[in-house]
Amino acid sequence: MAGSGLADKTGLKPKTPIVLVVEDEVLTRLTIANELRSSGLSVVEAANADEALTVLRSSARVDLLFTDIQMPGSIDGLALAELVRKTHPALKIVIASSFSPVGPARDIPDAFFGKPYDTVKVVSKIKELLVSFEK
Amino acid sequence: MTANDAPAEPAAAVETILVVEDEVLIRMVISEYLRDCEYKVIEAANADEAILVLQCKELTIDVVFTAVEMPGTMDGFGLSRWVRANKPGLGVILVGSPARAADAAAELCESGPMLAKPYEPQVVVDRIKRLLAERKARK
Repeated sequence: MAGSGLADKTGLKPKTPIVLVVEDEVLTRLTIANELRSSGLSVVEAANADEALTVLRSSARVDLLFTDIQMPGSIDGLALAELVRKTHPALKIVIASSFSPVGPARDIPDAFFGKPYDTVKVVSKIKELLVSFEK
Repeated sequence: MTANDAPAEPAAAVETILVVEDEVLIRMVISEYLRDCEYKVIEAANADEAILVLQCKELTIDVVFTAVEMPGTMDGFGLSRWVRANKPGLGVILVGSPARAADAAAELCESGPMLAKPYEPQVVVDRIKRLLAERKARK
């Protein structure tokens, strides 16, 4: 599988879509990250929104943000999604949380999944959203 | 028995490496390097996350690859002591800098499933330096 962060340096399948998974529960994060990798996607893992912003502000390519809402740190996942919608308008956004976004925030994600979610359905939706990125 | 009838060599069991690093850009690059060497990699952002992974009965970890300096309840030395007390026999690799991390990862690659480095560790170090420099420039 292509290395996500190193793809531009090594020439290894640079067009493999890259998903940034933002989740503070390590076992939940590794489960969804492994499922996404098994489906052929590259994954960058962030333990909170601050780490996600560090990745997004670097030159690492990201095609889709998959984030939890309730997380410790300077901002939560919803604020991260709102910010990313403005700074990276082309980035697909999928939110997974026990709490649904309300009001205008409902329009931010391209897809929403309540927790606990069906990993297969989440991976399927993410692949569907990324179909235009796959060569 | 001809050569064609010979049983295929059993595939080497894929070892799982737990990478523990609080700096996301370093963790990302080191983890991808080890995955490119065909290891299974589990990422932890600090020692507390690492201990949760190590205590999970469904997961088998073969090597703990940890940074020395980390914020939180314990640093890499503390995690090493925890592993020695609670998971005796489990190998721990302590790395104090990105360059040491890349060298240690390259050594793992040469004894891992692919038995070769996918690219030189200096590429890993250069990539980490570039990412960290970009972040510093933005602050």
